[in-house]
Amino acid sequence: MNVLVVKNLSKTYGSGETKVEALKDVSFSVSKGEFVVITGPSGSGKTTLLNLIGGLDVPTSGKVFIDGKNIFTMKESELTVFRRRNIGFIFQAYNLVPELNVEENVVLPMLLDYRKPDEKYINELLDILGLAERKHHLPNQLSGGQQQRVAIARALATKPAIILADEPTGNLDSKNSKDVINLLKMCVERYKQTLIMITHNQNFMSYADRVFYIEDGILTELGGRQK
Amino acid sequence: MNSYLSIVPKYLSAHKKRTRLVITSVVIAVALVTGIFSMLDVFLEFQKVQVIQDFGNYHIVVKEVTEEEIQIIGSRVDVQNAGRWIDLEEGTINGVKCLLGAIDPNFAENMNIKLIKGKYPTEKNELMLENWAMEKLKGLKIKDKVKIALKNGITREFVISGVYKDLSNTKGAGVPGILLSINGAKELVPGIKMDYVVLFKDGVNIIKAEAEIKEALSIKDDRIARNERLLALIGQSTNSFVIGIYITGCILFCIVLIAGFLMIYNTFNISVMERVRQFGLLRCIGASQKQIKKMVIQEGLIIVLRAIPIGLTIGMFITFLCCAVLKFYNSSIFGEIPLFNISFLGIVAGVLDGFLTVFLASYVPAKKASKASPVNAVTEISEIRISKNKKHGYLTKILPAEIAMGINNAVLKKKTLFLMSSSIAISIVMFLGFQVFIDFVHSSLKTTKPYTPDISIVSEQGLDSSLYENISELSGVNKVSRRMFSYVYATFDASRLTPAYKDIVGKIETTENGLFIPPEKSWLISYDKNQLQWAKEDLIKGELSEEKLNKHNGIVAVAETLRNGIGIKTTNLQLGDKVYIQTPDGAKEMTVMGILRTVPFSSSEPTMTTFITTEKMYTQLTRDSTIKVIDIKLKNQGQEKTVNEIKEILDDSVSFYDLRQKNAEINRHFITMAVFVYGFVVVIALISALNIINTMNTSVEAKTRYLGVMRAIGMTGVQLEKMVLVEALTYSMTGYIAGCIMGIALQKIIIHNFLTKLLDIWKFPFIQIVLILIVLLLITFISIISPLRRIKAKGISEIIRTL
Repeated sequence: MNVLVVKNLSKTYGSGETKVEALKDVSFSVSKGEFVVITGPSGSGKTTLLNLIGGLDVPTSGKVFIDGKNIFTMKESELTVFRRRNIGFIFQAYNLVPELNVEENVVLPMLLDYRKPDEKYINELLDILGLAERKHHLPNQLSGGQQQRVAIARALATKPAIILADEPTGNLDSKNSKDVINLLKMCVERYKQTLIMITHNQNFMSYADRVFYIEDGILTELGGRQK
Repeated sequence: MNSYLSIVPKYLSAHKKRTRLVITSVVIAVALVTGIFSMLDVFLEFQKVQVIQDFGNYHIVVKEVTEEEIQIIGSRVDVQNAGRWIDLEEGTINGVKCLLGAIDPNFAENMNIKLIKGKYPTEKNELMLENWAMEKLKGLKIKDKVKIALKNGITREFVISGVYKDLSNTKGAGVPGILLSINGAKELVPGIKMDYVVLFKDGVNIIKAEAEIKEALSIKDDRIARNERLLALIGQSTNSFVIGIYITGCILFCIVLIAGFLMIYNTFNISVMERVRQFGLLRCIGASQKQIKKMVIQEGLIIVLRAIPIGLTIGMFITFLCCAVLKFYNSSIFGEIPLFNISFLGIVAGVLDGFLTVFLASYVPAKKASKASPVNAVTEISEIRISKNKKHGYLTKILPAEIAMGINNAVLKKKTLFLMSSSIAISIVMFLGFQVFIDFVHSSLKTTKPYTPDISIVSEQGLDSSLYENISELSGVNKVSRRMFSYVYATFDASRLTPAYKDIVGKIETTENGLFIPPEKSWLISYDKNQLQWAKEDLIKGELSEEKLNKHNGIVAVAETLRNGIGIKTTNLQLGDKVYIQTPDGAKEMTVMGILRTVPFSSSEPTMTTFITTEKMYTQLTRDSTIKVIDIKLKNQGQEKTVNEIKEILDDSVSFYDLRQKNAEINRHFITMAVFVYGFVVVIALISALNIINTMNTSVEAKTRYLGVMRAIGMTGVQLEKMVLVEALTYSMTGYIAGCIMGIALQKIIIHNFLTKLLDIWKFPFIQIVLILIVLLLITFISIISPLRRIKAKGISEIIRTL
């Protein structure tokens, strides 16, 4: 079953001489539970693609279906609700809420959805990610690796259909990067999550089920470790 | 680029929105300070003109002066003008009661005696009198002969040499003022005592000059009188009450300075701190800490140079508005004051406050910014410092997430919370503080109440009751009220007399039961139902109900008693106190049921205090029911005609008092005060509102990225609005509570320490507090509308990309 279908997606910035085609007619689909890595040089359109999949940006043309729903036909408010229920984001710069402690940050998407967080599940998540001791710490009391683990927990908290990670290890050293990726991979497998991750790190491509390569807005599949 | 500092103007023009917000806040603060200080400056100028008009243009009076002293004082270099004045007290002119005096012509204008026709009396048998009196005394003309009789019986014939402009006091009292020449007066009463009235030059230290004169001529304190109000306005008063006002003013103006400071500091702090990252970046590429500091200060300089001229212009424009209003109302008195007043004080205050604050406000954050480690600045988002304590997120468990986060956002950024709420609080404190002056203006200066009579008709023998009916029926008459009054001996517990009164009358004898033997009579007045109703405006305590007063032998005490033209507190009576009034049937016990601040008329003879009661009680007490006063309030149209109609009804035994000129002067006085005091408050309120809006804008602007992230992880538009609103409300409510507490405390301190003599009673400012709350809520809502709209208009990815 395809949890994500991208059809003929194009995105153009500006017009005339300053026109930049960030994405050109990109199509692919991802099945449930897959771990997809997108790689490519800087400025190739990776982040644009991820933003479009996450509904943070609107395409010039093309469609994105998540769980069979065309996200660009939704109204802004519907999309917001859809996003918080079905998509989990992990950013390069962690983007935790500095005023909230670890636990609050993790349950925040649930709270914004006016749902009661499943405490058992959250505790389990924090346990797996090695944050159980840090529950009441604030983000700036944590190391970069720990902060990114909080961001992973936050992305997983709502059990979304799809997790989008934009260079989650970009700010981390190699040991921390490795830990984070391992944990991410483990969680994805354990909770049968679908993950789309942008990375430059060649080493992490071997973790992926499929690897896509973007250059000049054009997407090609490099293949990968098939299940 | 020639220098690294040229990055600053580039940065400023690249971030137009933010630059505009910071400039706006500096403009606002400078406008506030300039406006208030210029207004104060101009206000004093206007008041001086007003006081000179009301009390005369002199500084001190040396009483019972000798020729030698006149020589010495008059020849001092610091004396601008001086003249002799002789008070001949009451007398009669052609049999009509009048006030007699003599003055040197060179000083007459200083005392507002302005010649209209003829010349000043110089010969021993010449005199001049007021314009209205010429008519009153059966159409006298210049060069007519009149017969003057003094109190001591001396009678002589004089020739009218001139006519001078009406004085409101004498006209209001119906007693003409007559001026002789000094020589004439001296000859009339040989050996009469003279006063010497002195006006010093501008800039003279009058307190010192006065001391010098006293020492050189060994003049005792009681021989010197001062024009206290004029001295107060030029800052030369030693009067404790005036010093109280000076202190109050100083406190309020310091608060204005602090408010200006906080407004600028707040925006600057937000603007610099949010750019720690940017500064870190500059550090990465090789900027030294010193260079970062220099850049921030350079930025401040550019902003200040752009903002101060605008702020000054706005501040002066506000002052111009006040001047324009006053000149429009009162062109005759204020004609000489220019419409555009360039106030040196205001400009200096505005520029100084602006400059100092911007430098301080940029220096402190700059120091912090320059210390930020380059690596941290580039990699971390954290823009705030949070304590090392762990945090148990209780709030998010009780409240919906967006509300909890809104509160969290505000509460955790302690510095921002402090600055935001204190700038709101200080606005409220300013408002409540200046409110005291509004009340003061209202109760002390606005003596013309709706019922203040235009015309009073008085007869000691009693007025015919048909007269009351007849006058009521005249078409030009608006309101008529009648009063009975008499002077009675009244006594009460001796402890209720104030020390001020005991000083005046000397020793008070008390009886065994704690009562005292009244040294003077008290004024007992009857009020009809209407008058009781009108008087409620001046009620300090208790109530004014005709029924209840009748039922319980009630009486109303009046707190203020006029002694030598100055209102003082002679008694300290409280509700429920027993007052014993001497009646033809012996002493009668009455109960104080209300306390009035003042009555709008004054007694012709000195009294201990004033009591008011109903007509019924009055008649019971005095066994007298003759009406002694009829007060008339005229309609606005055709007043002269009505006045003539009334005069026709009256016979000679009745005194007719035309109080309109005096009332108009009091009203003008009130307007002068009110324009400025209300002006202050309006400026403060407007500027505070602008400040709050601007600060909210800046604060939301600074959080653009943060709000983008929130939207990315699933916050809807409505939740976003709620969160920002809750944050804004947290700031404004913290400020509100702090502001109200401090403001009320300030009010209490001002009133209790400095203004108690004015009988101002502090009341809980309930209405103001509710009003402030409503306005504040409104402003808070308004302040977040436009920044939110801007943020929602931006795409999320657009914001996040700038991470």
